[in-house]
Amino acid sequence: MSEGKKNGRLAVPVDDIEVDLVPMIDVVFLLLLFFMLCGHITMETRVEQITVPPTKTAQKLDTPDNWERIIVNVFGSTSAGKPPRNTIRVNNVNYVAQGIDNFEAYQKLRQVLDAAYDRAEKFPDPKNTGFMLPKVVLEIRADADTEYRVVQEVQQVVSGSINPFDGMKPMTISSPAQAKPFVFLNFTTRSPGDK
Amino acid sequence: MSEDPTEAMAKGKIDLVPMIDCIMLLLLFFILTTKFTADEKAIASLLPTDKGQAPTPQTTPVEPPKMINVCIYPEGLVKGFQPSEYQAKYEALKKTVGDVLPTAYLRMGGSEAIVLDGNSFSRKGHKELQANIEIVHQHVHQKLLERENSAVALRKLQDPVVIHCFSGLSWKFALVAYDAVRNYEGSKMGSKMSKDPSEWDNAREVSFAPPRIRNYSARELGNELYEIVNMQ
Repeated sequence: MSEGKKNGRLAVPVDDIEVDLVPMIDVVFLLLLFFMLCGHITMETRVEQITVPPTKTAQKLDTPDNWERIIVNVFGSTSAGKPPRNTIRVNNVNYVAQGIDNFEAYQKLRQVLDAAYDRAEKFPDPKNTGFMLPKVVLEIRADADTEYRVVQEVQQVVSGSINPFDGMKPMTISSPAQAKPFVFLNFTTRSPGDK
Repeated sequence: MSEDPTEAMAKGKIDLVPMIDCIMLLLLFFILTTKFTADEKAIASLLPTDKGQAPTPQTTPVEPPKMINVCIYPEGLVKGFQPSEYQAKYEALKKTVGDVLPTAYLRMGGSEAIVLDGNSFSRKGHKELQANIEIVHQHVHQKLLERENSAVALRKLQDPVVIHCFSGLSWKFALVAYDAVRNYEGSKMGSKMSKDPSEWDNAREVSFAPPRIRNYSARELGNELYEIVNMQ
C-alpha cells in the first residue's frame, strides 16, 4: 500500500478538511427570502380555514386612513353538532354558541364592539338620525355553508338592532346617544376563479 | 478539533457558523409561522341607520318606497300550502339531502324562480361555478331592469332591494343574490363602491331582511317558509 493511502482511501488529516458552506448558505437565504415574501404570519385574524362564498363584484377593499378594521369570523355547524354549535371569532378569540337559545357568543361580540366603539373616532350620521358613527369597518368573514340565520343575527347585533343581553329582542334606547351602531360592513368573499 | 476563531481571522477566514445558526433559526420561525392563503376580497355594505327601533327625528310623513323582494327558499317548495305543511316538507327535505341544502330557489317578486346550485358555491375551483354565477346575475339583471324607476335620477332613490333568505339555508345563497344586485348597480353607476365608507350612502339600498325566527320550533319555521314562499 502506498504512503498516504489507508484502506484504498486518501488519508487526509482531519484538520485539513474544509466543507464549502457557501452553496448551503445560498440555498438557505433563498428559502428565507421565499418564506418572508410569500407567507403571511399566522398572528393575523384570518387564520380560520373557511371557504368564503364566491362573488363577481368582489374587490380588494383597503381600510381608509384613520379607520379601524375589525374582522368577525363566523362559522356555523349546520351539518355537525347536535344541538347546533355556532362560533364567532373576533381578535383571535373564539366565542361559541352551543344551542339555538344560547346567545353568549353574541353577547361577547357586543362587548368587543362596545369597547371598539368607545375608542374609535366618530362622526355624525349624515342621515341626521343623531347617531355618532364610529370610523370602523366591520368585515364579516362567514363560511359559505354557515346558516344564513347566524350571519343575519351577527348583522343585527353589530348594528345594534337587537339586544343579545335581553333574549335577542329588539333594542330599545331612549336617545340616539346611547346607541353604538356599526353600519359599515364588508362581506368577505373570493373571486369565482380563485383556486 | 476546530480552529481558534482568532487564528482563523488572522488567516483571513471568517467563521460562518454563528451566522448559519441565526439564519437557520429565522428560517425555522418563518416556516412554522407562515400560512399560504389566496387573497380574499370583499363586498362593501352599508346598514341603514334610519330604520328599526331606534328613535328617529320627526319628519314629514311620506309614502313608503316600494320594495323589490328577492326571495330565496329551498328548492321544490311552491305556493299554496299551510305553514305546518311547509314545515313537514322542509323536514322531509333535510332527511333526504342533509342539513346543508344543496340547492335553492331564487325568485324576484312574482317572477318565475330559478334554481341556485349551492354545491358549486362552496367549493373552490368548481368547473360550473362561473356559469352558475352568471345565470344568477343575468336573471337578477333582467328583473331589476324591468323594475327600473326611470323617473328618478339618483341611484339612492331607486326602490330598495330586500333579500329574504330562509334562515335554514346557507349564507352563500344570500350573498350570491346580493352580489348580483350589486353587480347590476355597478353597471348603472359606472363605478364600484367608493374607497371612502362615509360616501357609501349614494348607492341604492340593498339589505338583508331581519331574521324572522328566534327558535327552531316547528311553527316558526313553517311560518317563515310560508311568508317567503308566498311573498310578492
